[in-house]
Amino acid sequence: MRKIYVKGASVLLAASLFSGALAGCSNNEEPAETNGEGGTSGQKEVTLKVLHNWNGSTGSEVDMTPVEQVIKEKTGVTVEWEYTTGSEVEKVNAIFATQDLPDIYTGPAWGGELDGIVKAAKEDQLVDFSDKLADYPNLAKSIAKENVPPALYEKAIDAYGGKKYLLLQNQPATDEDGTDWLYGFYVRKDIAEAVGIDPQSVHTKDEFYNFLKKIKDANLQAAGQPVIPLGGFSNGWAVGIANTMFYGGAGYVDKGDGTLENSFFAKGYDDYTLYYRKLLSEGLLDAEAFTQTDPIAKEKITQGRVAVLAAHYPAILDASKEYVKAHPGSDYIPVGPLERAGAEPDRPVDLGIQGNNVTAITKACKDVDAALRLLDFLASDEGFMLVRYGVQGVHWDMVDGKPTAKKEYFDKFAADTSGKLIARKNEGLEIGFNSMTGMDRINSVGGGDIWLDQERIAAMDNARKILRPNGIKVVTAYNPGDVIVKSEQWEMLKPSMDKTGDAWKEAVYAKSDEAALKILNELREQIKKTGYDEAMKFTNDNLKGKEAVTMQMPN
Amino acid sequence: MTASLLWKRVWRHKVFYLFMLPGIVWFFIFSYVPLFGIQVAFRDYTFSGGFTGSPWAGLKYFQQFFDFYKSEEIIRNTIIISFLKLAIGFPMPILLAILLNEVGSLKFKKTVQTLSYLPYFVSWIVVVTLMQRLLTPFGGPLNEALSLFGLEPIQFLYNPSWFYQVIVGSDIWKNIGWNSIIYMAAIAGIDQQLYEAAKIDGAGRFRQIWHVTLPGVRNIAIILFILSIGSLMSAGYEQLLLLSGPPTASIGSVLDVHVITSGIGEGRLSYAAAVGLFQSVIGLILILTVNRIARKVSDVSLF
Repeated sequence: MRKIYVKGASVLLAASLFSGALAGCSNNEEPAETNGEGGTSGQKEVTLKVLHNWNGSTGSEVDMTPVEQVIKEKTGVTVEWEYTTGSEVEKVNAIFATQDLPDIYTGPAWGGELDGIVKAAKEDQLVDFSDKLADYPNLAKSIAKENVPPALYEKAIDAYGGKKYLLLQNQPATDEDGTDWLYGFYVRKDIAEAVGIDPQSVHTKDEFYNFLKKIKDANLQAAGQPVIPLGGFSNGWAVGIANTMFYGGAGYVDKGDGTLENSFFAKGYDDYTLYYRKLLSEGLLDAEAFTQTDPIAKEKITQGRVAVLAAHYPAILDASKEYVKAHPGSDYIPVGPLERAGAEPDRPVDLGIQGNNVTAITKACKDVDAALRLLDFLASDEGFMLVRYGVQGVHWDMVDGKPTAKKEYFDKFAADTSGKLIARKNEGLEIGFNSMTGMDRINSVGGGDIWLDQERIAAMDNARKILRPNGIKVVTAYNPGDVIVKSEQWEMLKPSMDKTGDAWKEAVYAKSDEAALKILNELREQIKKTGYDEAMKFTNDNLKGKEAVTMQMPN
Repeated sequence: MTASLLWKRVWRHKVFYLFMLPGIVWFFIFSYVPLFGIQVAFRDYTFSGGFTGSPWAGLKYFQQFFDFYKSEEIIRNTIIISFLKLAIGFPMPILLAILLNEVGSLKFKKTVQTLSYLPYFVSWIVVVTLMQRLLTPFGGPLNEALSLFGLEPIQFLYNPSWFYQVIVGSDIWKNIGWNSIIYMAAIAGIDQQLYEAAKIDGAGRFRQIWHVTLPGVRNIAIILFILSIGSLMSAGYEQLLLLSGPPTASIGSVLDVHVITSGIGEGRLSYAAAVGLFQSVIGLILILTVNRIARKVSDVSLF
């Protein structure tokens, strides 16, 4: 009898292990669609999964924010968010390779992320909505030829034989709408005073080097540690932006004979690399700058251990908020304006403000019409205002024809010094919808950023005055980077071109200048071997008679 | 044994064989079904074509890998790191198992065992975060301790001078406990009479270890060594991805990371599959070779 029990128990155990293994392989996702009638217009209610492919983006801590509630009422769509933590390029490649597709994809409109989504479009992984555009005027407007930079239009929007797969967002609707993020080097005011240098007297490479050297030589301490002269955020963002002191800053430079070459081959690129190698080897640049994680980078800032930070100004203001609050007078203020290689002194700053986001409906979308309805609403003026400002009457009011923040929410948002914007996110702002609102109309339709406090507005205005003495010029010319990808050599060339950033970083850490140049030259040789010359000839031939971008500041 | 006899025996013990089923299913699903995907290495993989519909590309992606200017460096780095891990890391669990076997206090033994197993269950991302905190020259406890002795702070991580020490050391720390389990089991299986006989012959503790314990774990050690050789072309993906950076790229770029960065990072799935297949084929050749050598030299082999 005992034997039977043992046998029975054994069979049961084996069966449960087996079924457990099988269960682990099964897909337990439940369909998200419901059949209820919702929304003021009586549309069918549907939940759509949106992948917001921006590294580090996060959502709210509540199930349904007021903004999401209004969107649901207007469109019948509830959005289930998925955010990316890690490389955006890896994410876009991974979802199509594994076919773990969201209903809607939204992510960066540049680099490998854009290449990945364009590839997906060409391989029928996305929904062609060309025959439906007439019903969605806001979407049609956002990708009309005149509203998209020419090379980007040819590369990503009108690249599929008449079919349309991608929507572009956040390109400025008018000149007054472009966002200048004010990328630059910013120094702690108290530290600049301590070393006795006026940050506005720093213009040249040598002056910038001497400025950092003086900070190091001052042997300043913070939180029991030496102050780092120059630092950045995670994985080196954006310490490398001094490149504009050595070459035009765009991906391609004019060789002087009217033809273009990739800036990686320019003489200025060698000088740029050796300059950073010098900063690193002399302890002026944070040795962990290219390897640190975001929490560690921010910890250094909140402990007051970084003298000069390189990034865009809003990121610096957010990251330093806590330290500045505890140490008045320690605000980060702009350094420079720094010289720009090849630029006349009165040249406005060239900024590439050409839309930073693309959105697509994947072939797995459970309700394409609902997705288009949602995107069209978000791209409308009403949707734009809702997503940027919140619910009218709740978060803001129209006063004298201008959107004005309600004091209650203004104070609530201002009190959140965590830098994580939780208070805003819980109302539905900054949770991802803002990436999908069509063209940027923040000034022409809206009334600017109504949530900025006076201090921040003053700081941004001050930085703008210093760093943009001749104003800005929005780049409208052809980007050679969008043309070279059409050459037949690109498939072979791309893998080598993708290594330039890694090679630069490796060279910066090289033991000697010779070793650094050797690293760059080895890659240059490889790039040449994989068809660079032919691809550049194709690019130059295609751009003959057209204006190409050779000067560009980060933005 | 004839086939019918074998099946009769299997049927008689069917309940016990049933216990093997989850394992067999697991291996089938996760180790054999994916073999179907190997063909991607010989195709121009497209999202729409998938594994079977993408056009054939022959050896194009293998050619691309060998034409890549860093391929030699990557292969060399992989072999060096794997070799160091094997040469230094392989004997460590044996040593730990022998040391633990010699410990008299059962409570102490159990505590050390548990503590040594724990790191195995901690993911590399957590281990590396801990290392970053412990080893940073900016106020890390280790450097603080060094400064108490008047020593300069050391940049341990992402420093070519300390790279191999960090990689091999952290690998040993993470795996030593887990890998020692099998040796503990082998030692437990040694006939106690052998120790008693050795004692009667006048053997001290070291002699007993040398003449009884080590021969007792010899066979299992050879088997594990043969299996480890198969991983010589694989230096560890997560660890190297996290612990190697631009400063150590020339000695820290390895095949595993190259496969991931080119496959997922750059979307070159066929190329990544080709490099991965190259790794596996070399691993298989190494296993077969070492297995043959082991069989000739010691009569112990996998098959």
